[in-house]
Amino acid sequence: MPEIKVELKKEIDRLLNEDVVDVVIAFKKADAPLRPQPAFFRNVDEAAELEYNGLCQNNLANYLTRYPQDTRIGIVVRGCESRSVNALLVEKQHHSENLYLIGVPCRGIIDIKKIIKQTGEEVTAFAEDEDEVTVRVKGREVKFNRKDILHDSCLRCVHPNPINTDILLGEPLPEGDPTVARQAVESFASLGQEERYAWFRQEAERCIRCYACREACPMCYCTECFVDHATPRWTESDISPAGTQAWHIIRAFHQAGRCTSCGACERACPMDIKMTYLTEKLNEDMLEGYQFEVGMDDTTQPPFASFDLDDKNRFVL
Amino acid sequence: MYILNKKEYKQIIAKWLDKFDVFAPQKAGEFSQFLPVDADSELDFTEPHNTRYPPKALFLPQSETMMRYNRRLNRSEGGQEEIKPRLIWGIRPCDAKASSLLDTVFYTEDDGDPYWIAKRDASVLVGMGCTEPCQTCFCTTVGGGPFNTDGLDALVTELGDEYYIETLTDKGERLFAELPIASEEQQEQVQTLQSKVKGAMEPVFETDNLKEHLDDIFGSDYWDTIAESCLGCGVCTFLCPTCFCFDIVDEVQRSERVRNWDTCMFRIYSQEASGHNPRPTRKERTRQRIMHKYSYWLDHIGEIGCTGCGRCVRYCPVGLDIRAMLNTANAYESEGIHVG
Amino acid sequence: MSGNIPNPYEPIPMRILRAYYESNDRSLKTFELSFDNHKDCDEFFSKYNPGQFCQLSIFGKGEAPFGIASAAWEGNFVRFTVQKVGTFTEYIHTLQAGDALGMRGPLGNGFPLTEWKRKNLVIIGGGCAFSTLYALTKHIQHPQNRPEIEELIVIYGARNSGLCMYKHDIESWYQEEDIQLHQAIDVPEDGWFHHVGYVPDVVKEVAPSPDNAVAVVCGPPIMTKYTLPTLVELGFAPETIFTSLEKRMKCGLGKCGRCNIGSKYICKDGPVFSMAELQELPDDI
Repeated sequence: MPEIKVELKKEIDRLLNEDVVDVVIAFKKADAPLRPQPAFFRNVDEAAELEYNGLCQNNLANYLTRYPQDTRIGIVVRGCESRSVNALLVEKQHHSENLYLIGVPCRGIIDIKKIIKQTGEEVTAFAEDEDEVTVRVKGREVKFNRKDILHDSCLRCVHPNPINTDILLGEPLPEGDPTVARQAVESFASLGQEERYAWFRQEAERCIRCYACREACPMCYCTECFVDHATPRWTESDISPAGTQAWHIIRAFHQAGRCTSCGACERACPMDIKMTYLTEKLNEDMLEGYQFEVGMDDTTQPPFASFDLDDKNRFVL
Repeated sequence: MYILNKKEYKQIIAKWLDKFDVFAPQKAGEFSQFLPVDADSELDFTEPHNTRYPPKALFLPQSETMMRYNRRLNRSEGGQEEIKPRLIWGIRPCDAKASSLLDTVFYTEDDGDPYWIAKRDASVLVGMGCTEPCQTCFCTTVGGGPFNTDGLDALVTELGDEYYIETLTDKGERLFAELPIASEEQQEQVQTLQSKVKGAMEPVFETDNLKEHLDDIFGSDYWDTIAESCLGCGVCTFLCPTCFCFDIVDEVQRSERVRNWDTCMFRIYSQEASGHNPRPTRKERTRQRIMHKYSYWLDHIGEIGCTGCGRCVRYCPVGLDIRAMLNTANAYESEGIHVG
Repeated sequence: MSGNIPNPYEPIPMRILRAYYESNDRSLKTFELSFDNHKDCDEFFSKYNPGQFCQLSIFGKGEAPFGIASAAWEGNFVRFTVQKVGTFTEYIHTLQAGDALGMRGPLGNGFPLTEWKRKNLVIIGGGCAFSTLYALTKHIQHPQNRPEIEELIVIYGARNSGLCMYKHDIESWYQEEDIQLHQAIDVPEDGWFHHVGYVPDVVKEVAPSPDNAVAVVCGPPIMTKYTLPTLVELGFAPETIFTSLEKRMKCGLGKCGRCNIGSKYICKDGPVFSMAELQELPDDI
């Protein structure tokens, strides 16, 4: 068993045995091939199913808002997940004293679709170390350089180390390079307006309105999403271009100053739609215009959620 | 039984193009889906399984205009689309079987769905047998098979460089009648191949008494456990070939009444105007999905409403696997254990 | 064949013949609709059975199901009483005589009148859900139909007298010999000489005999919830108690899936079910 998993198991067992928390949100072994599932351990027996590897693709902070605020939650967090938790704390979605963050520095999530693209679907076994990933396909082994099959969001990751954790397991990793992170946004921004629109249209129009992106996102916790509102209806209901484009653009705007670039939306999408290029741009603007990066602490309001009486602009007051 | 050289399939399709709108799997971006074919189209059978986006959309489009209307007069202007004869080439047996299952919903006697019926009547289905089923496929468990012929007019089996074609209806026969007839040896080869492939697909869960098990545990906490990680998105149901729920909406900008796929997995699906929601959490909604397929379909037509296509397993964003869910259900009842 | 088959999603063109407020507070409005085409009219009445419903259709606003409140013999019109509860019904309330709207139906199963032949019938209704029971009573009152049912008891409750529907007609039932009418309001009012109290209590008070009898209950969920056990206490078997379910429905044809509960589609297999049938359904209502 990889060392980090042993350490995780020990800490999770301790939290449950010593009644520090009511539930631990982590990952458990896969039912579907190579797809570890989010798991909710309430006792040590359940925690025996713990899994932790590069295939754990969901943002566990997503499940925080399902619990009443008095539930004592232990949660395994990587860099982006810890920032999502912080962002949710800023938005008062849980009491911080009822949270116990088990931090794990993250080497990035492996994009199983990148593997399948090269091997076909019949991947039956998976092993990884720091630099290399080995899979078994129809009886043969295929090796990958880890960097080649990381999810796009993880390739751009600046903060692999969780922030504000109660315990940090494993050694902190070097921070990512912000200039690398910006490349995707910059190359998109360098396109002409028509090319940008064509790209947006092509991505949005594949949408089947299943809302997996919304449901996978920790920050999409509204009881009623704008898109479900019937009177008035804000977007066309169907998969017409007007409908899908409106969904994608408004969804992105609602993330301004709230998205931690975890990429869970893209990983959840059954149609492989790219959407982080929109939120990354908003994050970029937040940084440039307001020197704000979401989730770096659990108190600072995102720029669009805060105002002060001395604001030099008059439009708010 | 006919034989077609794989290299010649384009010619035969070109011939059909006069008479039919032909649909076949083609790459659209990274994955393939059923799209209209023209003389230059490159068909894609590289994926050993069904297309990601289900071909049920050919009969029940995800969004479909039912009628145009004049709002001032408050009157329908009709506008049902004319459907040209369609040839659907390369549909997998699980998806073809699903179309037959859905006929029991839409192709009904007194109140048949004219949109569905028009497209079904216009279509000829040529199936592509699965010589390499996936690890996520489980058609044989639910009464189908990699060479199941339900709903098909002809079935194609890949035999080396050739397609072996079994015609199943008059419609199918008319398509291929000019092709050379398969030799006895080829027939035997195909039979051997088919039974070998089929035999290698082990049942993945017990279906005997599964309905009764599920009915018994309807009120149990089994559902809390299996639905805990569910996101409540529409991936499993939208990609499912047998899920057919829809919503009817007036699109006022276009003055069109449209229907869109809908899903029991969405909260607002069952939300009533009074505020009451009979399925308020993901637990009740997951239960509805499973119960509908594995219990209520049996009440209606005596068949399971799942064809084992494996899409819900392959594309669930949190890795939920219906096969594991049903195994847990079976164990839950028979051993009386409380999961979780 | 597809070109010729009727489209059950296509609303029948209808026009408002009469529209009038049914309650003092103007929350209930009754609409009587006439058919634009004779053929539609004939077809409708060849199928119609009391207890069925229609989807009323306003293009641009959508559709919503309403129980039919008229009997076939009353004339070539279809009556609905619409309670103002949301945006759709608010809009319908603005419509007046002469206005056009669409209608799909009749939908659903209706009351099993053949099953009830030669039995005593106890009709119990509350609030605006009484509309289909009004249709049922009107149907039975026709001289041709009246012999089909033995004793006819009607118990009808409303929150107050201002909410009592179909007043002028129902008041005249007191004069009729072959109908036993009990009206009730929740709290006493000056000038009210009938029952006062909730429907389940009035049922207890009236205590209809279960012998050779069936009871049909339509009302708000809370009323139905407490009336069903009251009838059981009086000795009615679950097979002899009927009610009508209201669910979110779209297509009304058992196709869109929305109103599915267990093996039933409420819109097609219902909305009328016996209590025995309901007990067989999973607890998903």
